[in-house]
Amino acid sequence: MTTPTARARERRAAWILLTPFLLTTAVFVAYPLYRSITLALSQTYGVGAETFVGTLNFRSALTDPVFWIAIRNTAVFTLGSLLVQLPIALGLAMLLNRPGLRARAFYRLIIFMPQLVGLVFAAIIGSVFFAKQTGIINQILNATIGLSLDFAWLEQHIPATLILIALWLYVGFNMIYFLAALQAVDRSLVEAALVDGAGPVARFINVIVPAIRPVLTFVVLLSFIGSMQLFELPYILLNNGPGPQNGGLTIVMYLYQQGFETGNLGMASAVGWMLGIALMGAAAIQIHLARREARDQ
Amino acid sequence: MPTPPHAISRLADRLPPWAAGLSGGCILIIVAGLIAAPIALTGGTRASSAMQLWLFAATHEILYQPMVDEWNADAEARGALPIEMSMLGLAPLQRRVMSGFYGGLPTADLVEIERTMAGQVFSGPVEAVGLVDLTDRMRDAGMFDKFPETSLSPWTSRGRVFGIPHDVHPLLLGVRADLVEGAGISLDNIETWDDFARTLAPMMRDDNNDGDPDRYLLGFWPTQTEKVEILLLQGGTGLFDENGALTLVSEANARVLATMVSWCVGPNRIAADVKDFEASGNKLKTDGFALAFFMPDWMCNVWKNELPHMAGTLEIMPLPAFEPGGRRVSVWGGTMLGIPKTSQNIDAAWDAAQHLYFDSEFARELYRAGDIITPINTYWADPVFDEPDDYFRGQAKGRLYIEHIPGIPARNASPYNQTAVFRVADAAMALIDYANDNALYTPAELEAEAMNQLQAAERAILRVMNRNAFAQAEPAEADTAESGTRGGGQ
Repeated sequence: MTTPTARARERRAAWILLTPFLLTTAVFVAYPLYRSITLALSQTYGVGAETFVGTLNFRSALTDPVFWIAIRNTAVFTLGSLLVQLPIALGLAMLLNRPGLRARAFYRLIIFMPQLVGLVFAAIIGSVFFAKQTGIINQILNATIGLSLDFAWLEQHIPATLILIALWLYVGFNMIYFLAALQAVDRSLVEAALVDGAGPVARFINVIVPAIRPVLTFVVLLSFIGSMQLFELPYILLNNGPGPQNGGLTIVMYLYQQGFETGNLGMASAVGWMLGIALMGAAAIQIHLARREARDQ
Repeated sequence: MPTPPHAISRLADRLPPWAAGLSGGCILIIVAGLIAAPIALTGGTRASSAMQLWLFAATHEILYQPMVDEWNADAEARGALPIEMSMLGLAPLQRRVMSGFYGGLPTADLVEIERTMAGQVFSGPVEAVGLVDLTDRMRDAGMFDKFPETSLSPWTSRGRVFGIPHDVHPLLLGVRADLVEGAGISLDNIETWDDFARTLAPMMRDDNNDGDPDRYLLGFWPTQTEKVEILLLQGGTGLFDENGALTLVSEANARVLATMVSWCVGPNRIAADVKDFEASGNKLKTDGFALAFFMPDWMCNVWKNELPHMAGTLEIMPLPAFEPGGRRVSVWGGTMLGIPKTSQNIDAAWDAAQHLYFDSEFARELYRAGDIITPINTYWADPVFDEPDDYFRGQAKGRLYIEHIPGIPARNASPYNQTAVFRVADAAMALIDYANDNALYTPAELEAEAMNQLQAAERAILRVMNRNAFAQAEPAEADTAESGTRGGGQ
């Protein structure tokens, strides 16, 4: 039995042990969170100049056509990631999952390898490869299908260029997840469907997809969040900017422009909060789907 | 032999009972924290033993080195602080300086600011600008008479001057004289851009018959945003007036925009995207893919460093004008030297700044080693500017640049200059789309749509300008009526 004195000592010790965590949380999480809310409602120029502007920053962003261009571009990239990248990654995973495939590890490495170079390097390579006149992409397409060397990937086809580079970079990464999920699919279920006369499409829809759904949901969410946070790839690909007519402007780049190029930290905070709320919404949907999944099973 | 950690354990034994649960390591961390915290909190007030000078260009560092060595040699004897240079690069310098300004933290005693940074530096209330206001010091030192006004205007905000100009940067045209002469064409009678296109038209070729010319007349494309500004300054009304009000929407600007877009579209296209500072652009320059290039004085040095094999191919000529008798020069780039307010050696930094920028030998070296014309007009008579330059076919290009300095258009500082440059470049790209969609290729056909695009760009810039609560509370000293309607006073 513990005496009241011992309990008090324990409680004191608990607080002492919690203090470092509480202090770091207060300094590095709670205060920045509070400050970003006050910033979002203010305009500042350094520590000496701050003025309360209410919801002006939120209203300014929502009524700024450039903000909506950033939303549109981010949405296009996100859809491109989800509708182009993930099906190709799944297709590659299914090809690599075929029984009796030789050199499976080699193909897996080759497809995964672009992921090793990283976003920044991929953007630098992209800016060289997709350049007009001298870029290797236009040189090849000019020699094979007669495409003009002046074809402006980085001016008039920025979303497509971004999706292509991201495809090269991430398809192997997502493929690894799908491959792991496919390898965990119960072979007896597939064989039973085969015995029942199910064709490849029916087997894919009715057996494979339900079996890999948790991983599929996870990869979709991961791709969604990654796409919403897109910044380095277009920023470096387009020479430290959003590209002509804001063709490569994303939400995070818009935030960066406001905060660090024009110095409007309040507006950047407001955009950050809106982005954060959107991502929390996406996470909530994922949690809802995961719970429904668990209920169904 | 006893081990040292026992000492910590013994210390733990002496602590009050409530702290008895803490381990020796935990106590060590707390003690280290207690010692480090006051040091960290008072670290900003440390006295420096040298004046810090932050630079963004390696060439500037090389140029300053002899001056710094000279200063440092007898600094101790004079009771002055020595100068310590740090080359940071443009983007890191911008981030560190702006972080310091926003946070009120120490940066350097002297800092070089590039023109594209100026907007950010000047975007707050004038009293919150992180640089020392040098207006009175410069006036007292009689500096305003020594600089052309166009070299001061980029560093002037709301009537106050915050930096000593490093340069004046007249921009002329570099032409592949070797190719032009080889074709038996003379540049002597070129006065306007129309003359330029007409005279050099025979140089446009399609050797491989693929339908695309293998050579264009001008290295220009609206995605090179700074070149759009260069042309608007040369032939139009620029972007901002001296009160910070937008001057974008004007017939002159619409005419210039329509003309520059006409160079990029249709059967009479003369311009190609040849980028500066990039390997792809340098290859196209080497291949003779374009014949003429925009050449501010500093760009001569970029060519010498990046394309040494092109020596003897280029000649500098005045920019063709947009109309007969029009302006034959423009301007690109610029640097100033400023003193951050957080410097603890403001007077010493002012002395050092004068030593660096006002020495006649430095002015000569600035040209010899950097091809940059000093902004100090009393040095323009120096014979160094008459020396033939072998890279430019023996031309005394320094004198040519100096002769055109009086014609340089004014660039007025605005926090929104970069925003305006990007929006007007977007307008040019939109006009290219319009021209191609409607098969309209001449300046006259494009002028009306150019005006529409400029108006759209102005609306976009005003949206950004009108968000600035500080600027709205702080009208310009002059012409406030105009400012109110066109976003001035920023």
